[in-house]
Amino acid sequence: MGIAALVALLACGRAEPQAGARRPLVLHTTRAGDSLRLELMAATGWKINARLKPVLESSDGGLVRFDSPLLTPDSAYFTAPPVAVVAASGSPVRGTVRASVCAAGESVCRVVALEVRGER
Amino acid sequence: MPKTALFVALSLATVGGFGAVETASRAVAQTGIPLLAVPRGTPRPAPAWHNKSWLNTEEPLTLESLKGRVVLLNFWVFTCYNCTNTVPSLVEFDGKYRNQGLTIIGVHTPEFPPYSGEHDKGNLQRALEKYHIEYPVTQDNDTRTWDLYGIRYWPSFVLIDKRGQIRYDGAGEFHVGDTNYQYWDGKIRELLEEQ
Repeated sequence: MGIAALVALLACGRAEPQAGARRPLVLHTTRAGDSLRLELMAATGWKINARLKPVLESSDGGLVRFDSPLLTPDSAYFTAPPVAVVAASGSPVRGTVRASVCAAGESVCRVVALEVRGER
Repeated sequence: MPKTALFVALSLATVGGFGAVETASRAVAQTGIPLLAVPRGTPRPAPAWHNKSWLNTEEPLTLESLKGRVVLLNFWVFTCYNCTNTVPSLVEFDGKYRNQGLTIIGVHTPEFPPYSGEHDKGNLQRALEKYHIEYPVTQDNDTRTWDLYGIRYWPSFVLIDKRGQIRYDGAGEFHVGDTNYQYWDGKIRELLEEQ
């Protein structure tokens, strides 16, 4: 099983939420049979908005939403990494992962857009 | 065992056809630190918006038509928890100050592309009902007003005086009665008292 743990980073905006928190998301991928499991990990100090679920926008126009059943009591944020599963066979995974992430304990969140290019 | 290599590249481009603003620079305010208005010294003219889609008003509001009133622009989106958490404060401001000369305008700027449902006027109308919003709200689906005002976070606020000058701006969630609420309340009253 091949695993590629790749960093998705977007650091910009006026208020840097936390020192060392410039990489709000990490995308872990796991190959499982004919599927590719994408797991979106919030870096320490960050939360992922569950009201606006992260999405993989495939270059072919398809949408795959990330999700997790584990949420904060107010259903605002994921408490476990949201996951998306895509078919691993066929053409390479290409597209954009879009997510809204919030810095825990501070007042600013960001929308990040990550271009994904996958090769097998 | 298949060998998989996945490359994730950073993208600061205008991905997703989401307007000319770098998607990555957008942000949503969350409970916590106050990101409140820091007066920028001298007032500056508020740019005129040209939004066409409005709710809670019979006709589009223009900056020119609001001269003589204090205007509070609230940039928000209903999928932003921090934005909706702040709505009760805005509803209270509207109740307290509308008759004294305050106009609150909710500028509804989506975070995600249209598939998110944020661009849909019906969804927005339902959100207004859910949160008891009676002040005017305009759809900013193309983010033109957001860009015009140089907004970067949800929720953000721009306070415009009776002469159409931007006097205060800032961002961040606040709640009825808290320090940040009192800050904005004071600024609104200050501008209302001006001739």
